[in-house]
Amino acid sequence: MGNKQTIFTAQQLDAYQDCTFFTRKEILRLFYRYRDLAPQLVPLDYTNHPDVKLPYELIGSMPELKDNPFRQRIAEVFSEDGEGNMTLNDFLDMFSVLSEMAPRDLKAYYAFKIYDFNNDDFICKSDLEKTLNKLTRNELTEDEVRMVCEKVIDEADLDNDGRLSLEDFQHMIVRAPDFLSTFHIRI
Amino acid sequence: MASELHSQHTGNSYPSDQQSLRLRQDSSPVSNQNYPQFNWSSSPAEDEVDNSGPPRDLRSIPLPMSLKRAVWQVQQMQVPVVSKVESWKWKKTKSLHKLKDRTRGFLYFITLWGKTLQKIGGNFGGGVQSYFLFLRFLVVLNFLSFLLLAGFVLIPSIVFRSVGTSLQNSTGPEECMNYNPNPEGLVVFYHYFLDFLSGTGFMEYSYLFYGFYNNTIVEDRSFSYNIPLAYLFTAVFYFAFCLICIIARMGTAARVAVATGGSAVGNYSKIVFIGWDYGCLGDQATKLKQKNLHYRLQVDLEEERLRKQAAALTLGAKILLYSLRVFMFFVALGLIFAAFYGIFEATNFSQSRTGEEGILGLIFEYLPSIVITAGNFVVPMLCDQIALVERYSPSTTVILALLRAVFLRLVSLGVLLFTLWRQITCEGDTNSQDCKQCQYNNKLYPCWETRVGQEMYRLTLFDLLITIAVLILVEFPRRMVVDNSSNMLTQWVGRQEFVVPSNILGLVYGQTVVWTGALFCPLLPFINTIKFVILFYCKKITLFYNCRPALKTFRSTTSTFFFLVVLLFGWGLALVVMIYSLAEIRPSMGCGPFRFFPSMWSIVPTSFYRLSQVTQEFLFFIGSQAFSIPLFTLSCVVMCYFIALASVYGNSVALLRSQIKLEGRDKQFLVKQIEKLKQLEMPKQ
Repeated sequence: MGNKQTIFTAQQLDAYQDCTFFTRKEILRLFYRYRDLAPQLVPLDYTNHPDVKLPYELIGSMPELKDNPFRQRIAEVFSEDGEGNMTLNDFLDMFSVLSEMAPRDLKAYYAFKIYDFNNDDFICKSDLEKTLNKLTRNELTEDEVRMVCEKVIDEADLDNDGRLSLEDFQHMIVRAPDFLSTFHIRI
Repeated sequence: MASELHSQHTGNSYPSDQQSLRLRQDSSPVSNQNYPQFNWSSSPAEDEVDNSGPPRDLRSIPLPMSLKRAVWQVQQMQVPVVSKVESWKWKKTKSLHKLKDRTRGFLYFITLWGKTLQKIGGNFGGGVQSYFLFLRFLVVLNFLSFLLLAGFVLIPSIVFRSVGTSLQNSTGPEECMNYNPNPEGLVVFYHYFLDFLSGTGFMEYSYLFYGFYNNTIVEDRSFSYNIPLAYLFTAVFYFAFCLICIIARMGTAARVAVATGGSAVGNYSKIVFIGWDYGCLGDQATKLKQKNLHYRLQVDLEEERLRKQAAALTLGAKILLYSLRVFMFFVALGLIFAAFYGIFEATNFSQSRTGEEGILGLIFEYLPSIVITAGNFVVPMLCDQIALVERYSPSTTVILALLRAVFLRLVSLGVLLFTLWRQITCEGDTNSQDCKQCQYNNKLYPCWETRVGQEMYRLTLFDLLITIAVLILVEFPRRMVVDNSSNMLTQWVGRQEFVVPSNILGLVYGQTVVWTGALFCPLLPFINTIKFVILFYCKKITLFYNCRPALKTFRSTTSTFFFLVVLLFGWGLALVVMIYSLAEIRPSMGCGPFRFFPSMWSIVPTSFYRLSQVTQEFLFFIGSQAFSIPLFTLSCVVMCYFIALASVYGNSVALLRSQIKLEGRDKQFLVKQIEKLKQLEMPKQ
């Protein structure tokens, strides 16, 4: 305690510490990462709450995200406007949920939203097909995609409506202990 | 109807059935962010009750950051209303959380090889990482065992070397006490190197082996230290300590398996939703990961197809397949027994040719290790070819190959020990000519414990040397050849893959050898710690430079449990050896802390009667029926309680699962009813 930083007020830093899973140092480090994406757009003084939004292209070019096939969905889910343009709040929120200390239910909620391509609160067959194609780089044949989608819905759909709701998804995540370690970005 | 399951809306509730029904009906394209309902009107009273709640709960609520900060501000304004005592409590819990976070960060920093393991996991996946985690567990286990043995056996022996009185002053026949391990005359220089490798010569009569320790008891005014008793108890406690560590580790792995309800989530959902590692960096790694997922999906689909095919076989084809499998099973068994016979012969030959000089003598001494290692290379390769004929499904093939390899490795060690036993005890017949005098074959083995210890020492050392030799002579050249020549053959062979199961079995074998030999070679855990550390770095180097990420992955979560089960098999084998040596074979009369005792265990009754009368009566009482039967009954009752508790939880889990299914059907029914009513209303209007 006692390093003089003039980017945030003490209250802002406290709020960020309580609202994310990061410590003071990590929040400042993340702020500098955010700023490095566009130094001319991001001011060094956030005490008066400037309204700065970085476009999706800059976020998607970060080394942690640029090779991830789901980077566009991740940015869309965490951004306020739903288009992938992120403020600092969204940026911190995203990495907080993807950090290793976030609880499983929170991660499952956001993972569900990421895989829900058409934003209708259900993962239906078309969402699954899009997910599969992103996972395998479009290398599966039509037949194989269809078979895998059928199998997934068979396995995970508990209320038999032909698509996965949030509860089905969470129920499946509970039984898979690997989820916490794979849904994790180190920054 | 849905109230029981979705009641108790706390601050972090997710959209319930009714809400999502309502939202779905009037959701517009604009509002596509459905926030869970947060209880804005929570009174200060509720906040007081939940004092450690506010900082934790806010982070875990899935709200966007701007909303969370607004809520935080509201909470900050509410805080002064809370009474003094509770606000002090809240501050303390907050600083406790901060302290916990900081210590977690610090522990992560100092965990042995933490960063390396993360890098391995990120680049090569969970299966390879589980091998290195297992290796790290064994390094720590061996190091702690070494500290145990050093503290209770080695250091007192060093300190009390020249002090102390002999425990038993009896003597035995002259020939039995004749033990002269020190080399006589001038020793040629390279002999030191040979002796280092085979544990003979200058290394034989040292703290490394059993023969050097004295059977002295040191007594002072208020302090007495019984070295033979300490040796025995430390060895027994070492086994118990290892068992406890393994079971504790199995407990954490099993807890995960039980929590997932026994049935893991289906393969396909797992691959699709949990298969992608978000921490995967780099274009190459991403492409590889995608290929890996593609391969896994194809393998699963293929297995499905094979299963359908197998179910559709005609009767004649089925009979042919089954008879082929039985035949192949016998072929595999025959191969394994051939390997055992080879080890048996090699050990006999090696023991009959001891005392040879030079390199040839070294080779003869290492002959059992050479044959065991050769068998461990050749037989699994042949078994893989056999598996191709058997045509089981891929997952069954992997398990079968593992079981065969485990059987081969552990029982080959058992065969080696059995041949040694035959020679030491003249095949169990203490009245045969060689063993009549001392009840063990003192001509061949003036100090048989040291001999067994030497054999285990050689096995450990040979294992390490072979690994390093394979690394330098096979793996690096293979990579250089594959990278630099564009020959079709070399490209087909390709870079090697890191095969997890056979590496794990190597570790289990090495650890079993150490456990077997620890009674006869107290420094063996220390040597093994160094060996495993060297092995870690060698395997890491070969992984990063020579291997390509495996296309076919090894499932990591259930495999940790399986590795520990296999390790327990090895522990069991070593335990049998230890119990037999403690109880049945007569200790050597020329060396060691148990000389002149009829068996190693008999020191316990002897020392027991030197204790004070009160202690003796207390220990008799504990061993008597009046104490042990109530204790046994009590532990049975406790175990029954836990079994009943576990079955009750299992039942309630099954009940809740069926309830979820029923709720789903109710929901569908109600939706249909709503649509029907809507349709009825429409024509009216």
